[in-house]
Amino acid sequence: MSGRFYRLIRDLHLYLGLFISPFVLVFAISVFFVVHSWRPRIASETSTIRVVSALPLPGDLPTLSGRPLIDALKPTLEKADVRGEVGFVRHMVKEEKLIIPVTIPGRETTVTISIASREATIVTRETGLADALVSLHKSPGQHGPDIRMNWFCMRAWRWLADATVYLILFISVSGIYLWYVLRAERSVGCILLLAGALSFFGMAYALSH
Amino acid sequence: MRSATEPNGPGKSPNARRIRAGFERWNRKLHFYAGLFLLFFMWLFAFSGLVLNHPSWGFTEFWKNRKQTNYEREITVPGPEVKGDLGQAREIQRQLGIAGEILLTTTRTETNQFDFQVRRPGHFFFIKADLARKRVTVQQDDVNLWGVMRVLHTFTGIPVENAPTRRDWALTLVWAYSMDAVAAGLIFMVLSSWYMWFELPQKRLPGAVVLSLGSLICGLFCVGLRWLF
Repeated sequence: MSGRFYRLIRDLHLYLGLFISPFVLVFAISVFFVVHSWRPRIASETSTIRVVSALPLPGDLPTLSGRPLIDALKPTLEKADVRGEVGFVRHMVKEEKLIIPVTIPGRETTVTISIASREATIVTRETGLADALVSLHKSPGQHGPDIRMNWFCMRAWRWLADATVYLILFISVSGIYLWYVLRAERSVGCILLLAGALSFFGMAYALSH
Repeated sequence: MRSATEPNGPGKSPNARRIRAGFERWNRKLHFYAGLFLLFFMWLFAFSGLVLNHPSWGFTEFWKNRKQTNYEREITVPGPEVKGDLGQAREIQRQLGIAGEILLTTTRTETNQFDFQVRRPGHFFFIKADLARKRVTVQQDDVNLWGVMRVLHTFTGIPVENAPTRRDWALTLVWAYSMDAVAAGLIFMVLSSWYMWFELPQKRLPGAVVLSLGSLICGLFCVGLRWLF
């Protein structure tokens, strides 16, 4: 019974670990970019500008804000062939303009719509892989929960980011079990576990007190 | 102790076999040694990441439940030898005995009025210095454990991307490099696990299927979305 349990945990540890390993790499590699606010420039950023006219706009535009505004602008963006996660929409009343930031990991698009002429200037910037990793690391994030995750792909990413956390918790607990079964490694493992706990709590205490 | 992953392949010199067996044994040992040492760091970043991704979870609320204290102090106005806003902020911070990372969030419009923030996990200090009156008002907000956890996850000392700022508190630097070390440890654990899996011939195919599936889904988000849309 215990042998079967051990083999089951070992297999789950292996296969679930292999499945989430690319996600762990994404989160781990992007740490260096986030912590040091640095991006390697593997390829140069490219930028394109195009103009689209005769765009449909929601009739109740002045009364909308937040998520309802984003939802109402979806057909407009679709007509302009711009897809992705819509950020905070700026309505410049005086200039009669809407500025809509749209992101796909590794690409930033700014759609500036002239409300009077229903014409949009679309600036697309390809920001590269490192930026894509950072944007995935920070998604969905703590800011703007009312408007975030308005694109189905990013909703799926939120689910995957959560799954990565749950699987990391399972893999770490199962890893402790698999280590503890190895009697010969218990003493060294205990020392390292204790050293890790001391480093972590010591640092957290020093930072917060 | 011999590992189940140790090879016994024929056709290689005993020396090469010994080196390979030693590499495999240490790869396996280091995999769980790194995991055990980094366990609490991993749990912090995993759990706080989950909390950050779910700001609607009411039980993790920290800002509304903060404890606020306000006080005023007299200070000696920093002399001409103290250069720049950061230098002045450091000097005032030293006089107040507050430790933490300085944040210069507002543009200074008056020479005698100087506002800045000092942050460290669990504590936020909003400092307003009136240099003409030689007085400083401090608003101190202390947050709960959820707040400490969230700030630890994001406490890099560089708040805005590409901001012309650098870390000015030694502990921020230590924490930032600890984050790097945890990330490097995780990368090592992933690579060492791939090696251990590959050395198990009977598990290569099912392992390749799940690793490919994970890589495909992950790759779709990292590069694929740009091709598709």
